[in-house]
Amino acid sequence: MRPAGGAAAPGAAPLAIHAEGLGRDYGPTRALDALDLRVPAGSLVGLVGPNGAGKTTTMLLLATLLAPSRGSARVFDRDVTRDRAGVRRRLGLVFQEPSMDGLLTVEENLLFAGRLAGIGGQAAWTAVRQTMARTGLTARAEQPIRQLSGGWRRLADIARATLHRPDLLILDEPTVGLDPEHRDRMWSLLDAERRDRGATILFSTHYLSEAEPADRVVMLARGAVVADAPPAALRADIGEQVAEIDGPGADALVAGLRDAGLVVMAHRAERGWRVGLSGSRERVTELAGAAPGIARLSIRSPTLEDVYFARTQVPVEA
Amino acid sequence: MSGAATVQGIVVRDLIRTTRQRSRLVAGLARPFIWVFLIGAGFNSIARIEGGLSYQAFAYPGGIVMAALFGGMLTAISTVYDREFGMLRLMLASPSGVSAVLAGRTLSATIIGGVQGGIVLACASLAVRLTLPQYAAAAAALVLASLTSATLGLLVAARLTSVENFGGVINIVLFPLFFVSGALYPTAGLPGPLRALARVNPVTYMVDLIRHTFGQPAEFALAVDVGVLVIAAVAAFGLTAMLFDPEQRFVGRKPERGR
Repeated sequence: MRPAGGAAAPGAAPLAIHAEGLGRDYGPTRALDALDLRVPAGSLVGLVGPNGAGKTTTMLLLATLLAPSRGSARVFDRDVTRDRAGVRRRLGLVFQEPSMDGLLTVEENLLFAGRLAGIGGQAAWTAVRQTMARTGLTARAEQPIRQLSGGWRRLADIARATLHRPDLLILDEPTVGLDPEHRDRMWSLLDAERRDRGATILFSTHYLSEAEPADRVVMLARGAVVADAPPAALRADIGEQVAEIDGPGADALVAGLRDAGLVVMAHRAERGWRVGLSGSRERVTELAGAAPGIARLSIRSPTLEDVYFARTQVPVEA
Repeated sequence: MSGAATVQGIVVRDLIRTTRQRSRLVAGLARPFIWVFLIGAGFNSIARIEGGLSYQAFAYPGGIVMAALFGGMLTAISTVYDREFGMLRLMLASPSGVSAVLAGRTLSATIIGGVQGGIVLACASLAVRLTLPQYAAAAAALVLASLTSATLGLLVAARLTSVENFGGVINIVLFPLFFVSGALYPTAGLPGPLRALARVNPVTYMVDLIRHTFGQPAEFALAVDVGVLVIAAVAAFGLTAMLFDPEQRFVGRKPERGR
C-alpha cells in the first residue's frame, strides 16, 4: 500500500516531498540557495554533490531539524515549519554518524528509539522484536552497541530508523565506512522497505554507483540544484560515450575534438580529461591516433560519476 | 501519549546509563561519605556548632544535598554529551519535540539525584538520630532538592556546546554552589559578600530544608525554603526552555562533510 502523500498532478503519485525555493543560511554563508524538489511517494531519490554542496542542510531542513531561511517545504502535505510533529511522525532519519548509545544494548537502543517515536507499552516491545527479526539483529539483541563492528552498528541504526515504519526515510551518507557485504545488506533492507510498504527514500551518497538504481538523482553544487533527472537521462545528457584522456598532448586533443564538434562536455580532473562525446567512436580514435603525447586514452559508456564531474565542477577550457 | 512515551524512553535510558557507569556512581556516593566521616571526624574536635551538634551531624544534611546536587546536575549536564555525540538530535527529531526532551531529562536527573541522596539519607543513623517521620520528611525535601538540582543542571547545559567545558563546569559551577551554601559551615560566619551570595544560592535552601526535617537549627522558615526551591526550579526550567537552541547541534559546529 502506498502512503498517502501531498498534492500532486492528477493521475501522478502523491508527493512525499515538495520543496519550493527552500534555502538556508548559516550567518553570512549561503548553504542552500533555493531548492525546488518534488519527490513522488514510493520513489528512491539520490542526492549527490561535493562536500559543502548543501546535501546535509537539505536533509536537516526536510527533517524539521533546521528552520529554513527562505522558501517552504512540505512532507506528505505537512509543512516542515508549521507542523513539525506531523512531519516527524512519518519520518525515519539516519544521520552521517550512527545515532546509537554505546552503553546500551541493541534491544535497549531500539526500545529507546521506539519510545522517542511515541510507541509506548507492549507495542514498543513488539516493534523492537519485529524490527530485530526483520533486520537480522535478533542474535545481537543483548550486545552493547559499542561492542558491534561499524557495519553492524550502521545496520542497527537503520533498524532504529525503520522501527516505527516511517513513510519517508531520509538517509545522510548511510554507507560511509561500510564494507561491501554490509553495504549490500543495508540496501537490501531499504529495498524491502520500498517493496513491502511503499516507503519513500531520499539518500545522499558519495558512492555514485549507489545512486544508479535510484528513480531520480538530484545533484547539488554550491547550494543549488545543477541536475535533477533519472540516472539514464543524466548519463545520456553528457554524450553517447566518454573518453578519458591523459598525457602532455591531452589539451591539444580535446581542442581538436571540440573543433570537430564531437564534445558535449569536457572536464579536466587531476588524472586528465573526461570528455563527453557524440558522434562515431571511429572518428574519435582517428583523431586520437594522430595526436602526439597521449599517455592514456579510454573510451567507455558514460557513468553518473562523469555526470557528477560535468555538472558539479567549474568547466575548464582546453 | 506520545510525549509520555518519549519521557519514559529518556528516563529509562538515563537510568540504564547510570547503572552501567559504576565508577561515576560510586564516586558520586563516596564524595559525601568522605566529607562527613573522614573530614568530619577531624572537624568534630575543633568545630563548635550551635545547639551542641557534632560537626558530623551538622554536615550530614549537606552530605545528602551534595549527593543529590552532583547526581542531579551532572545527569542533566550530560545533555552536552548527547549534543556532542549525536544522541540529542535523535531525541529532538522525536514528534514530541524539545519540551518532552527537557521534561524527560529533568525527570531522570531528579530520580538519579534523589536516589543518590536517598542512599546517603538511608545511612543517616551513622551520624544522627532520626525518627521515621523525620526520614519521610527528609525524603520529600530531597525530591524537591533533586528537582531543583536537575533544572539547574539543564540550565547550565542549555548553552554549553562542548564536553571539553565539562570539567570547568564542575569547578566553576558545582563546587561554588555547594561551598557557598551552608552545607559545610554556617553561613552566619561568612564575610558579607559570600553571605549575600549564599542567600541567592538555591543550594543554601536545599540544605536548610533538610536541616528543618532533621530538627536542626535552620536559617530560614520552612515555607521560605520550599518557596525558593519551587521558584528556582520553575525559573530554571523556563529559562532552559527559552535558551535551549535545538539547532545548536547543527549550526554551532564546524562545517562538515556533505553539509
